[in-house]
Amino acid sequence: MQLRVADPNAGLGPNQFYEAFWQNAVTGSDQLRQRMRFALSQIFVISLVDPNIDIRGAASYYDMLGANALGNYRTLLEQVTLHPMMGVYLTHLANQKEDTAGTRSPDENYAREVMQLMSIGLFMLNPDGTKQLDTSGQPIPTYTQDDISGLARVFTGLSWYAPTPTNNTFFGGNRNADATIRPMIFYNNYHSTSQKRFLGTTIPASATVDIAGDLRIALDTIFNHPNVGPFMAQRLIQQFVTSNPSLAYVRCVATVFNNNGSGVRGDLAAVIRAVLTDSEARNIGVVSSASFGKLREPVIRLANWMRAFGATSQSGNWLMGSTSANTSLSQAPLTSPSVFNFWRPGYVPPSTQLGAQNLQAPEFQVVDEVTVADYLNTMQNAVNAGVGSGNDIRSAYTAEIAIANDPVALVDRVNKLLVYGQLSAISQQRINEAVTGVAIPATGTQAQIDAARLNRAKLAVFLAMASPEYLALR
Amino acid sequence: MSEEFSRRHFMRCASALGLVGQAGLPFALQLAAMNGAAAQTTSDYKALVCIFLFGGNDANNMVLATDTDTWDRYWLARNTGTNPISLMPVGTAATPVGSVNAVTGRVVTSRADPAAWGGVLPIVPRTANPIPAGTNATARTFALHPMLAPLRPIFSANRLAVMANVGTLVTPTTKAQYNARSVPLPKNLYSHNDQQSIWQAGSIEGAQRGWGGLMADAMYSMNGQNSVFTAVSAAGNAVFMAGQNVVQYQISTGALPSIRVNGAVASSLFGSTAAPARLRSMIRDISSPSLFASDHAGVVTRSMDFADALNAAYGMPAATSVPAPPVFTNPISGGTEANPLASQLQAVAKMIASNMVLGMRRQVFFVSLGGWDSHDFQNTAQPNLLAKVAHGMSYFDGVLGNLNGVNMRNTVTTFTASDFSRTFSTNGDGTDHAWGAHHFVMGGALNGGDVYGQFPTLGNDRTGFNNPNMAGNALIPTMSVDQYAATMGRWFGVSDANLSGIFPNLRNFTPNTVAFV
Repeated sequence: MQLRVADPNAGLGPNQFYEAFWQNAVTGSDQLRQRMRFALSQIFVISLVDPNIDIRGAASYYDMLGANALGNYRTLLEQVTLHPMMGVYLTHLANQKEDTAGTRSPDENYAREVMQLMSIGLFMLNPDGTKQLDTSGQPIPTYTQDDISGLARVFTGLSWYAPTPTNNTFFGGNRNADATIRPMIFYNNYHSTSQKRFLGTTIPASATVDIAGDLRIALDTIFNHPNVGPFMAQRLIQQFVTSNPSLAYVRCVATVFNNNGSGVRGDLAAVIRAVLTDSEARNIGVVSSASFGKLREPVIRLANWMRAFGATSQSGNWLMGSTSANTSLSQAPLTSPSVFNFWRPGYVPPSTQLGAQNLQAPEFQVVDEVTVADYLNTMQNAVNAGVGSGNDIRSAYTAEIAIANDPVALVDRVNKLLVYGQLSAISQQRINEAVTGVAIPATGTQAQIDAARLNRAKLAVFLAMASPEYLALR
Repeated sequence: MSEEFSRRHFMRCASALGLVGQAGLPFALQLAAMNGAAAQTTSDYKALVCIFLFGGNDANNMVLATDTDTWDRYWLARNTGTNPISLMPVGTAATPVGSVNAVTGRVVTSRADPAAWGGVLPIVPRTANPIPAGTNATARTFALHPMLAPLRPIFSANRLAVMANVGTLVTPTTKAQYNARSVPLPKNLYSHNDQQSIWQAGSIEGAQRGWGGLMADAMYSMNGQNSVFTAVSAAGNAVFMAGQNVVQYQISTGALPSIRVNGAVASSLFGSTAAPARLRSMIRDISSPSLFASDHAGVVTRSMDFADALNAAYGMPAATSVPAPPVFTNPISGGTEANPLASQLQAVAKMIASNMVLGMRRQVFFVSLGGWDSHDFQNTAQPNLLAKVAHGMSYFDGVLGNLNGVNMRNTVTTFTASDFSRTFSTNGDGTDHAWGAHHFVMGGALNGGDVYGQFPTLGNDRTGFNNPNMAGNALIPTMSVDQYAATMGRWFGVSDANLSGIFPNLRNFTPNTVAFV
């Protein structure tokens, strides 16, 4: 991102991250990579909500996710682990070994969440993503508190990059200008040399410090855990295709994670190809079932609008701010309320038909009486005048205006662009009637005719984005 | 919470509460008829307000035992590391930045140092708390975090009680039983999302009915036509609020509680008078073959049906008389900032005030404050958060004391909840996930000014000291969430039979409630 090469002393705020995000999201020629890193940013979560996160560092973290988005999971896991912004966010930066008095223990935050949220989850999984059960029918935990305490010792002695590391730089003093964007380095004085037991692996107590060796063993152990395939398969299918994949679908993707066909484990390009080309993602019979699909994410909806209708930045700088407030989209990139993301993959919405069938619907965690109204009002404004500071990002609807005299053609166009032709007959009829309600003056001035056509275009776009077939991706 | 939620239940619920297809008109008319009427009866109104502290509050620094034996073990565990998180003893004067603190001998370099806040604030319970096994204390004395000063007068006025060592439990659990795993334990201990879910709904993530919603189920018929407002959240979706019949209703903390869909209520949209009606039909269309689309339309429908009526209620004097919270100052930075908890409590107070008009008799509310996961920088984050809790709760207590001229304190019981407490010892500048925690309950109906439950023996195991209340670095709860919750449920009017259904494990605990109310 531009931020990475920007003057490190320049005053940066969250808006500069959002500006870069939206510019990339809309104009990037590598859309799969953009979507993949946005998905990964919701699994390997850091958040601008944390006041200790540096904006340039966050941009570098997002760059790192992009660089690894179609690479290998093992490399991604290592670069996430060593990124100083993850170190700040999950607090293993400047994490010290236990003290000899036996009163202070290493920080357990990253050790816990890297297992629960980024790799293996809480329960032993079958290759199809179902939980393994013990002889009494209970799910089997993947780890205990003792595993976390053991793994926490591995993540000690990591802190800020410095050309000349000292105790002072370990604790954040004399900060190098690039410390927030360069991988954390090893400070041997602060690394635990006692025994480290986790997930069936034991690193014996040692008289010498070997941070790189300990990390390699720990990350290899996590990477090779049989849960990672089904875990990542479920997460990525939920992000891209459907909230409730079949067991066969999960198994197919997990199998590719385990081996891309050339004996390589963790090939994310192969994994996302498997996610998107699985018959379940493409078979019209499956796709039309009541429980298939997902609620589109609010950020994706706004990006859909910008891309479908050629929105451009008036200033050239894509002046977007946060869209986190429930008066906006209840979601902004890299701005989740906690490491648990905007919503949980296992969220089952109470008091709904989905809930009655015990179906997951992660994005419903931010759907309530207030947010549904605010989404519609936000999009009405965006479609009408644009979004961002001074409505910097706008569409001219040139192509839509050109066919606005023909409501059927106009509806057909927004149907194809936004809904993949899935608008129901009744939705098409409603949009058509609303659009037709704008009379094109037969004898008016050109300006009056142009205004009417523009109104028709905006109506068609807005109503399509409010339609049930758009909101529910299938 | 263990029962399966059925489609039939949903449909019954839908018809009972007007969730699907009911026009808003009759409700609005009823409201209009009541406008100005002397409907301000406060008899038999009760509300429960849950303040959820997301992230896991370090309750070890919220309520402290100050007897010498306990304090020494506390000091040993926490007066260490790069940024010690040990609070100063009772009576310590605040040390200005730049001066040496007499207790630690260290120079105070910033406001993010407990020495800058002064000593913990003593509270004197009305009754002596028993001395637990394992401690050499001869009497138990207590104090609050220095940032909780606004809560002290409420405690002294017997409207605030401390609940000691509350946590998720299946059955009473001793240290030996925990270590041997010889009794069933709550699943996924120490995991944020799962412990939040167990606190709110008795089972791990994926739970669909919480005890707030189930208590509301038992009482909502008292609310007549307006029962859609039985369970109201000002803090987003919470499984706590989901009942079998009762569905959570979300309100905004903005000027008005409900947000109107502008395009759907306008007379014309983008120059088309035909458009608003088409938009309305489209966004309320629950007939979509996709459950995701249909359920979304259900929420839109509920939002639109009640928005105007609820906004109108907020326009009446009872609600408009609720004052805004006073300005909040961050005690560490010294700057003013928003206190979202106070804003949410203001919205709740307006709802309660509106009910004098709406005729509601039982309500459950949900508000929250996040940011408690203090693995590091605990001395920066936690004091500010505790100050927000004290600021918000004391504001709410004051508002309820004079709600449009009526003292409503006896009718509203407010309580805290959180994922878990945190490790007793420090990791250098913060704490990690643990289990049992102390909590606050506030209200005029309480036998307040006291500490309930057994305040535990504190301190990590060492040679010659085996703490019966702690497993590793975590307190083993001695009061279950079920006991804590059922006590409030009984006050709320939920029958013992219903409480047994809501809390299937309650029968494992004797007594099954606590005498705080």
